[in-house]
Amino acid sequence: MKKLLLITCLLSTLSLPLWAETDKTPAALNDSATLPTGEDVARLINSRDEGVFVSRKLSLLLSDKRGKTRHRETMSYRKYYAGEKRTVIFYLSPKNVKGTAFLTYDYEQPEQEDDQWLYLPALRKVRRISAADRGDYFLGTDMTYEDIKLETRVSTTDFTFHTVGPCEINGFPGVEIEGQPIDQARARELGYSKTRSCVDKAIWMVRRSQFWDIKGELLKTVDISGLEKIQGIWTQKVIHVENHKTGHRTQLTFNDVDYQRPVADDIFTTQSIKRGL
Amino acid sequence: MHSPVDQNSKAWQFFRTITAAPLLSILLSICLIIGFANAIPRLEKDTRSDAFMPKGHPARLLSEQARATFGLGDPMIIAIINTGPEGVFNPHTLQLVEQLTRQLQAVNNIDPEGITSLATENNIIGSAEGMEVEPFFEYFPETSEAAAQIRSAVMAFPLYVGTLVAEDGSGTLIIAEQVDSDLAQSTYKTLMALVATASLNDDESIHIAGEGALSGYFGAYIDADASRITPLSALLIIALCFLAFGTLRGTLIPAFVVLATTASTLGLMATLGVSFFIITSALPVVLIGIAVADSIHILTEYYEVSAQGPQLKPRELATITMCRIWRPITLTSLTTVAGFFGLSLATIMPPMKYFGLFALFGVSIAWLYSLFIVPALLSLLKRRPSRSYQNRAHDVDTGKAAPLDFFARIASAIGAVSLAQPKLLLSLGILTIIAGMHGSTKIELDESLLAAFQADEPIVLANTAINKAFDGTYFLDVMVTTPETEDLFKPSNLQKIEALQAHMEQHPDVKGSTSIADYLKQMNRAMHANAPQYYRLPESVDLSAQYFLLYSVTADPTDFDEIIDYDYRLANIRINLEKENYKTIAPVVEYLNLYLESTFNDDAISAQPTGRTYINYAWMQRLGEGHITGLSVTLSMVFIMAAISFRSLGAGFFCLTPIIVTISGIYAYMGYTGISLSVSSSMFAAIAIGLGVDFSIHTVERLQTLIGQSSSVTDQTLLALFPSTGRALLFNFLTLASGFGILVFSKVVILQEFGTCVALAITISFLSSMTLLPAMAKTFKPRFLGYHSALAKH
Repeated sequence: MKKLLLITCLLSTLSLPLWAETDKTPAALNDSATLPTGEDVARLINSRDEGVFVSRKLSLLLSDKRGKTRHRETMSYRKYYAGEKRTVIFYLSPKNVKGTAFLTYDYEQPEQEDDQWLYLPALRKVRRISAADRGDYFLGTDMTYEDIKLETRVSTTDFTFHTVGPCEINGFPGVEIEGQPIDQARARELGYSKTRSCVDKAIWMVRRSQFWDIKGELLKTVDISGLEKIQGIWTQKVIHVENHKTGHRTQLTFNDVDYQRPVADDIFTTQSIKRGL
Repeated sequence: MHSPVDQNSKAWQFFRTITAAPLLSILLSICLIIGFANAIPRLEKDTRSDAFMPKGHPARLLSEQARATFGLGDPMIIAIINTGPEGVFNPHTLQLVEQLTRQLQAVNNIDPEGITSLATENNIIGSAEGMEVEPFFEYFPETSEAAAQIRSAVMAFPLYVGTLVAEDGSGTLIIAEQVDSDLAQSTYKTLMALVATASLNDDESIHIAGEGALSGYFGAYIDADASRITPLSALLIIALCFLAFGTLRGTLIPAFVVLATTASTLGLMATLGVSFFIITSALPVVLIGIAVADSIHILTEYYEVSAQGPQLKPRELATITMCRIWRPITLTSLTTVAGFFGLSLATIMPPMKYFGLFALFGVSIAWLYSLFIVPALLSLLKRRPSRSYQNRAHDVDTGKAAPLDFFARIASAIGAVSLAQPKLLLSLGILTIIAGMHGSTKIELDESLLAAFQADEPIVLANTAINKAFDGTYFLDVMVTTPETEDLFKPSNLQKIEALQAHMEQHPDVKGSTSIADYLKQMNRAMHANAPQYYRLPESVDLSAQYFLLYSVTADPTDFDEIIDYDYRLANIRINLEKENYKTIAPVVEYLNLYLESTFNDDAISAQPTGRTYINYAWMQRLGEGHITGLSVTLSMVFIMAAISFRSLGAGFFCLTPIIVTISGIYAYMGYTGISLSVSSSMFAAIAIGLGVDFSIHTVERLQTLIGQSSSVTDQTLLALFPSTGRALLFNFLTLASGFGILVFSKVVILQEFGTCVALAITISFLSSMTLLPAMAKTFKPRFLGYHSALAKH
């Protein structure tokens, strides 16, 4: 907790002097002198407080290109242990997957493979699952593991960002930034050749992102809505993703978001996912 | 020789009017041709076999639904074969698979989500702790050890053995679905070019086959061939006209009518938006034959009249000619129209229906041009006798028996034989009919696109190579339907699917099958540490549901799109077949249908066959019955038309006799040489009737005239038929027989068969009209020919 705050503070302070400098960069001069650079925007996004732990109801509404839908209700907990992030998702419905639970440890060092376990009540067994690739799709959604891991953040180790210009989503003014993977290998691993995001200037949260696949074709659009301040933390309530290649869509809705109710450490254990809620 | 023309007759008045302003009508006709020809570039080709099914047909609707649900169509199948000891499992070949897969994703009309290859598929493997879903190419194999690991991984996934990789590892497939099957032709071309750029080791080869490639290539193949053969056939026919008359007008006038007929017909097709189907390739040749026949008869008459009346002015000459010839030309046109109308009535297959209708239109155009434009042209041309008919002028001048030219002598010789041996000829006719009846019992119904290609074509070689190594590249799809969402999680339903697959795989022509059941078994085994005894279906609804959830932990949400729908309510079972011909697929489809009806279908689950194979089965099945109905309807129409024209039922039968002999002859030929009844060969009957009846009508019409004019009917009376009408028919026959006969040089096997059958049919109907009809006239002395009045006069 302390460490995270420290990093956040450090980032914020670092960004200040840089600001003045970047004003003189050609990109900023070209457009409007008031827009921060892409790197600055990225830092501002990532310095936002996410809370150390959170519990929330997450409902997943998935639909295919023919409009057929699958609806899943889950209860989810997340907690940061310094740079390590632990997440557990318990399925509440539909009935035939009720009690299924998914536990993940995301380690800070990218070279350390994440650990994942799944409990299947029909087998009454907890199974370890091989680490997913960062570009793999997560639980039948249109989001990749990397997207999920980042949540509202952007990755400055994988992308370089530059400012495109001003943008506006639903009347909220923002800064549009474009991200380029730092190299081809990174692009292939993540499955993206380019991203563009419209970032709200007031709260430094992404309101819309677009992703291009490695062939350079528009792959998906992510819309974030229902932003509200809960317990002092800006929180997204709805994430809608449309995959333009497959026509598949995902809507994640967060309810009962609570940053204050303590989340016990032992909930992130294989015994706990077997025991259930 | 001919009756003098009555200048008060309606015909005289009519043709005087026609020839009054010849330039105007010729100009008008040229404008018409240009108008129609302008539309031809808009003609759309539709070479898919879907076209043989009417649009609203249930089989087609179901197949469209299956296509929309599972994204399955006519795939392009690319096989990479390696004959080396490691098969395809070496870094170079696997690299090739990866590279081609990536290139394919960028090809227009290839669905990037619809590609299945080692480079796209996931492995489902068990580990001590659980199950892993990861691409076979998770780490691209750089060494032969790594390649060997991929080999053992794939070989441990039963679903992929035989379908994605050859059992002996010698080959692997890339299956690529098309976005739009209508673009198969250009897609196939692109793929061929793409594959040609791949760098191959000595032991590697790449083949392209599959339903998509087949229909893609088929269109191009026939198309290229038809555009090579049709002009040849037109040239040959026109050249024969020169041989017949030895004059420029004798050559150019038929050529003009041919041009008008084909341009108008194809132009009308384009204007009405009717597609150019595979069998439409035969239409131009048929039209050329029909168009030229009318001209030959007019010109024969023209030169005869011209030889007899050197004093006649061009307009009179044209008018007299037309007065004498309009009736047989009209009668033959009417009967031919009736024949093609019969064809279009009898068939449900749109390509055949349109073939009949447009052939009918072409016949009418040829008739119109022959009656209106040809006399106009002739009336403009100065009398210039044909050398072939010059001798006949002496006939009038000197009163001596006319020395005949070579062709007239041939025709006369045929006549002499037939009148000398009428009984023998009648017996021959009866014998042919008996042989036809016997031969027809040996004719089998079969149809195959692949059989159209010559044995050394890349597609045929690809097909052979692929089917040797794999479970077959033709698919019979079975669409499984359950009433409620997630019903397919139920063990009872999954067991039924598994049982259906097991049942189908017992059929000798079924090489394998794929369904969601196979994936669930693989997952079940993986979750039980790869223990072989767990390669079985999950035992509860929840477990199935949870396996899918487990699979989705790392997999693409659209991974199972091709085998199960998003609601888990519909599923597709893909049955692999090695061959695509009717004789193979029909028993399999019937075997499946029987099982579905007797065992599978109930309230909880039901299934229907669908996909390319089933569509082909459904329309091919109709070929047999369609052929019989088509034949009967066509024959009846021709009979009715002939009977009406000659105002006698006897005349109807009389005209039909050579046709029946002809069809019997063809049946005998097909039966004894093993030509199967297919789309192309089933067309022969209608065409043979349409074209062949002309010989009968001309013969009967002339016999009627000759007998009607004589006071006593002797062999001499009948013999007069041969040097004039007989000679014209001989050229009519020669042009048609060579026009169709040239199809023998086609590269397309079915066109060769078609050409042979039609040329043979024309030969038989020519010979039987020329010999059987006079023999029958002599033997039976039918009243409608004028025997009664001749006897009375006697």
